[in-house]
Amino acid sequence: MSRALVLACGNSLRGDDGVALQIMNHLQKAGCDPAPEFHCRQQWTPELAEPISQAEIVVFVDAALGTPPGAVTCRQLQPRPSTSLGITHHSSSESLLLLAEDLYGRRPARAYLVTIAGEAFELDENLSDPVRRAIPEAGVLIKALLMGITVTED
Amino acid sequence: MSKTITIDPVTRIEGHAKITLQLDDQGEVSEAYFHVTQFRGFEKFCVGRPFYEMPYLMERICGICPVSHLLASAKACDVLLAMKVPPSAGKLRRMLNLAQVIQSHALSFFYLSAPDFLMGMDADPKERNLFGAMRKNPELGRGGIRLRQFGQQVIETLAGKRIHPGWVVPGGVNEPLTIEKRDKLLAQIPEMIAIAQKALAWFKIEFENFREEIRTFANFPSLFMGLVTPDERAGYYEGKLRFTDSHGNIVADNLEAANYAEFLDEAVEPFTFMKFPYYKPLGYPGGIYRVGPLARINLVENCGTPLAQQEWIEFRALERGAVLSSFHYHYARLIEILFAIEHIEEYLLDPIITKPHARYSASLNNLEGIGCCEAPRGTLIHHYRVDEQGLITWANLVIATGHNNLAMNRGILQVARHFVRSEKLNEGMLNRVEAVIRAFDPCLSCSTHAYGQMPLQVRLVSAQGSVLDQICRGS
Repeated sequence: MSRALVLACGNSLRGDDGVALQIMNHLQKAGCDPAPEFHCRQQWTPELAEPISQAEIVVFVDAALGTPPGAVTCRQLQPRPSTSLGITHHSSSESLLLLAEDLYGRRPARAYLVTIAGEAFELDENLSDPVRRAIPEAGVLIKALLMGITVTED
Repeated sequence: MSKTITIDPVTRIEGHAKITLQLDDQGEVSEAYFHVTQFRGFEKFCVGRPFYEMPYLMERICGICPVSHLLASAKACDVLLAMKVPPSAGKLRRMLNLAQVIQSHALSFFYLSAPDFLMGMDADPKERNLFGAMRKNPELGRGGIRLRQFGQQVIETLAGKRIHPGWVVPGGVNEPLTIEKRDKLLAQIPEMIAIAQKALAWFKIEFENFREEIRTFANFPSLFMGLVTPDERAGYYEGKLRFTDSHGNIVADNLEAANYAEFLDEAVEPFTFMKFPYYKPLGYPGGIYRVGPLARINLVENCGTPLAQQEWIEFRALERGAVLSSFHYHYARLIEILFAIEHIEEYLLDPIITKPHARYSASLNNLEGIGCCEAPRGTLIHHYRVDEQGLITWANLVIATGHNNLAMNRGILQVARHFVRSEKLNEGMLNRVEAVIRAFDPCLSCSTHAYGQMPLQVRLVSAQGSVLDQICRGS
């Protein structure tokens, strides 16, 4: 069981949508203490509920719509049902926490969503300049979260 | 005064669609249409590409069943090369296909349809969803997740990626299976069998609560089509096509998939992008047939693995001839999951599976190739023509979900005639009209080679165009 989990979500073929994957690569190269388990997905799906239930801390990382491009934000998460009724093969980060609790009886003590505002989501394997420049900042933030530094606001 | 009800889009299926119900002057449902409203045109934009790119282009049609397109495409390319694949590669490809069946069926049954079974067709959609269902029966939920994980893990172990793997290549597969990886998969088989058996035991009791749905969910005579192996098993990767009728009689047998144009044709209708395949000798629409889990289990006289065989016997005892209710696609799906687990175990125990030589090489030898396999949703055919340089000049894809198009449309009509009785729409009525489609587990991303997601809108419109009633769901 890994006590720390980093879940990166995105599509590396859709420009800035792939930023979470790049951040994951950055963290793997730089090293983290404690060393987390990394999962990289194009969607967050119910299959992740089990590893989430076994972690003490989970950090979800994703691209987001927002301004300015490259802005890194962090939000502490609480379990919450999905508001999406039509889609059942991908899930929100909050709903996965709820699912972990419902199905496996526990959830991480701390859970965060780190997002990076993107500006270009068309077919492209490259990140836009502001988003690429935000990778180190996001990496520092995630490392701090993993070390136990509490972040409560965006 | 005649009226029209539109369900747009349909939820908990793969892709974009809407449903229109036409009411007559007496307020009875007179017509029903299943509109598939998306289009991507993979058959066109692959023209000019080298044939060896096709498996990786075509698998991008779908994120749920990419393996099926990968295999059908690679098989078509094998024909272009005029070669057979090494025995180990053949078995590895078969195993990959079965893993796809497990993960796709688990998604359909446990994620998409279990909310209807657990919460009831009339439940509030705020509760009747994946999370509500898993909260109501956590053991079933955990089991469904494990089955899907296992199917995905087999795919990832063999092919390197869960979605859109590139491991299957013309001539074989590009990496053999190691003994260590084989043993890790083998170790999980007993747990998976136990989960599948538990789910079957649960569902065989549960479906008794859905007698009205069983009676009305696309429950009518039709042909059934699928691949059958020489030893009378359903042929997920190989075999010849068989048609049976609603009495279980064989109508046509030993048909080569490569000759599909001789016995299948496709009609088009102006209200949808999805074509309407039909059995040519019976014409359109008389040549209606069904494919997929229900068809495969109706077609054969031998399920082929010990535990699934026992379930198959019980299933077939539901009717004297073929099992006709499309509600039982769900039941058939669970039996196929059990079969696939057992069959994967057989392959893993076969010493050939870890032989190192998994690919043959050849250059272009044919200018036309057709590949066929059974996707989770039914028979899938890829047909390519190339020029002397191996560049694609023409492609035709006959997709599993498309085969069921006539049956889905007729099924909506049957359900709507039974449940839609007034001008006032209610949630249970709406959900049942959707649920009959959900029973087929259509993958509209595949059938139109497009992708998407579906919120829902149902509109009741008068003949004059005024909206009499409307229900909307968010995306």
